[in-house]
This record gives sequence, C-alpha cells and structure tokens, in this order.
Amino acid sequence: MCDTCGCSHEHNHKETKTIDLNQSLLKSNEEAAASNRKHFDEEGIFAINLISSPGSGKTTLLEKTIDALKEKINIGVLEGDIETELDAERIRKKGVPAVQITTGGACHLDSLLVHKAFHSLEHQLNGRKLDILFIENVGNLVCPSFFDLGEHLRVVLISVPEGHDKPVKYPKAIRTSQVLVISKTDLLPHFDFDMEKIKKDALSLNPSLTIFEVSAKTGDGMQEWIEFFKKHLLSHE
Amino acid sequence: MHEVSIALGMIEELMRIGRENNAKKITHVKLRIGRMSGIVTDSLIFAFDAVKLEHPLLSSAVISIEEVPLVYECNKCNKKFEIENFTFPSCPFCGSFGLKIISGEEQHIEKVEVEV
Ligand SMILES: Nc1nc2c(ncn2[C@@H]2O[C@H](COP(=O)(O)OP(=O)(O)O)[C@@H](O)[C@H]2O)c(=O)[nH]1
Ligand SMILES: [Mg+2]
Ligand SMILES: [Zn+2]
Repeated sequence: MCDTCGCSHEHNHKETKTIDLNQSLLKSNEEAAASNRKHFDEEGIFAINLISSPGSGKTTLLEKTIDALKEKINIGVLEGDIETELDAERIRKKGVPAVQITTGGACHLDSLLVHKAFHSLEHQLNGRKLDILFIENVGNLVCPSFFDLGEHLRVVLISVPEGHDKPVKYPKAIRTSQVLVISKTDLLPHFDFDMEKIKKDALSLNPSLTIFEVSAKTGDGMQEWIEFFKKHLLSHE
Repeated sequence: MHEVSIALGMIEELMRIGRENNAKKITHVKLRIGRMSGIVTDSLIFAFDAVKLEHPLLSSAVISIEEVPLVYECNKCNKKFEIENFTFPSCPFCGSFGLKIISGEEQHIEKVEVEV
C-alpha cells in the first residue's frame, strides 16, 4: 500500500529535495578543533601538534625541549599512540605532566580525543596554568595531517634516515604544517641525504614553512629551535 | 586509513542533516575532492558503503564524486594553469617558480538529495 495517499497500489509520490551544503567533509572534527583552540586561547596556552612517521624522534625532541624550557615555562604533554603508556612515562620522568591517549588502532588523533585528554591533564595540574601544550600525534605521516586538533602550530618531523624525498611523497603533511624539523642530523655522514633538495621541495610545496635542522642527540640546532619557541611564546602572550 | 574516520564523520553529519530536513531517505551525496586532497576516493566510498547499511536513512544513498584538478596561480604573471605533477612546478607562461595552489585540495560535501 502506498503510504502517502493510502491507496491500494504502489506508485510514485516521492518528493525529492536538494540541499546545498558546500561544507568540509571533516566539519565535525573542525568544529571540535575550533572549540579546543578557543579553550587554549582562554587559558593562554600555546598548543603544538607534532606529527611524523614512527621513530622520527618526536618523543626524544620533546624530552630535550622540556630540559631546555621547563625551568621557566610550564609545559604539559598529550602523547598519542596506538597502544602503551611508554611515551607518557618518558615525559613524566622529566617532571612534566603527561596524559597518554591510546587510540586502540586509529592511526591519528582527533579533536575529541584531545579534548578529553586535555581535561584529564587539567586534573593533574591542580590549578597550575600551562604555557605550552605539546601534543605528540600517532606515528604516521598521512592521516594526522587531515585532523586539526585545535593547535596553534603544526610541526612535522622528517629524520635523516627516512630520506630527502619525503616532502614530495607526503605533500599534505608539508602543506598543513608551519614548521619542518629535519631530525637526526648527526646521522648525515651515514646517509645519502640531500639537505638542499629536501628544503627546496618542502618550500616549493609550502613557501612559508620554517625549517630547522636538529640533532637531539648531539644538541646541534637545538638552540635555534628553542629560541623559536621562546619568541613564539612572547608573541602569543 | 583516514578515509574510515572521514566516512564515519560524514555519516554522522548526513544523519543530522537528514533529520533536520525531515528526510525519509538520503538518496544521493555529491562530494568534491581535490586531486591533492590526499583522500583515496575508492577507500572513502568503500568505507561509506560498509557503514551506511546500519542506518535506514542512508542505506540506499549513492555517492558521486567530482574530482577537482590541481590548479596553480603564478605569483608573477598571475596566470592560472592546471598541472598533473606537483613536484617542482614552474609557470608555463613565464617560467617563475613562485606559485600558489588555488584548487585541488578540496574535501567537501557539495550537496545531498533527499526524499521528503
Ligand atoms: N642518532 C639519533 N637518534 C635519534 C635522535 N633522536 C631520536 N633518536 C632515536 O630514534 C629512535 C626513535 O625516537 P623516538 O623519539 O622514540 O621517536 P618517535 O616515535 O617519533 O617518538 C630512538 O631510538 C631514539 O633514540 C637523534 O637526534 N639522533
Ligand atoms: Mg613517540
Ligand atoms: Zn607566470
């Protein structure tokens, strides 16, 4: 039976309607990201999203950055991984509050996960205010670049052993970041790594990218990286 | 596989839009995806088709995708041109390397058709 007119035969009363949306496919994440960013702004927190392939040196760079900054600056860390508390434990050993986000399989963080984790970080702080929030994303150079977390700065790491061709292979990570850190530069003598080429490719994809060459192991280039943060914090205040 | 998360977010949003418009069914979803968006359209459709069956409102929805080409604009001569290979692009008119991408990174839902 036809639902619309109650007659006893099947026929077409279908009314169709076109709804123009022209909105982002990632709208729900983007809205949650905007609300995270607003919250960080209200609290005066400068938030940084660190992305890279697994093992490029994100946690090591964070440890060294914490060593250099923690006397003067209140730092908090959210650690994203598929499994384990290991990275959050590494950060807590530095005396800095950290919350581990385990995605249980998902290859990236999203703004809801960050929202929840940030609230549990706030519980650890007992009212103390943060200046910087570092968010270490899940190791993956593709998926995290789609998801705004509400950060103020996105930093992508590419380590020397990964090779200089990564920017052109992962253009979205370069396009959506403001900073590129070329990490593990102490290993340059052991690899055929073309430093000029990687910089040229990265800048051709994203002309406003700031690039650092850093070895967390030897400390080479750390000074410039740290100064950059101090400057950013001042301008953010 | 960010396409799965993107499909899940899209389904949630479509359900909201369907309810808001008192739709009986969503029949058609039109997307605009840029060539350099990083979204694998086959994976997106695969994920969408797998999950849509759980939702009567969406179970017969069909996705169609308009692929948007990669278009640059030259900062020097202001001409626009389409390009296939984004590595080392230079302006075909004046040779300049100072270019900006003006389309090809889209990841949009353009419109939906519903039965009301
Ligand atoms: N040679 C060298 N090794 C590094 C450097 N930074 C990190 N590593 C090593 O790279 C591996 C992965 O580092 P980790 O910080 O855990 O990477 P993540 O997965 O990006 O967090 C570890 O064995 C580190 O000791 C560096 O600057 N030089
Ligand atoms: Mg790590
Ligand atoms: Zn030109």
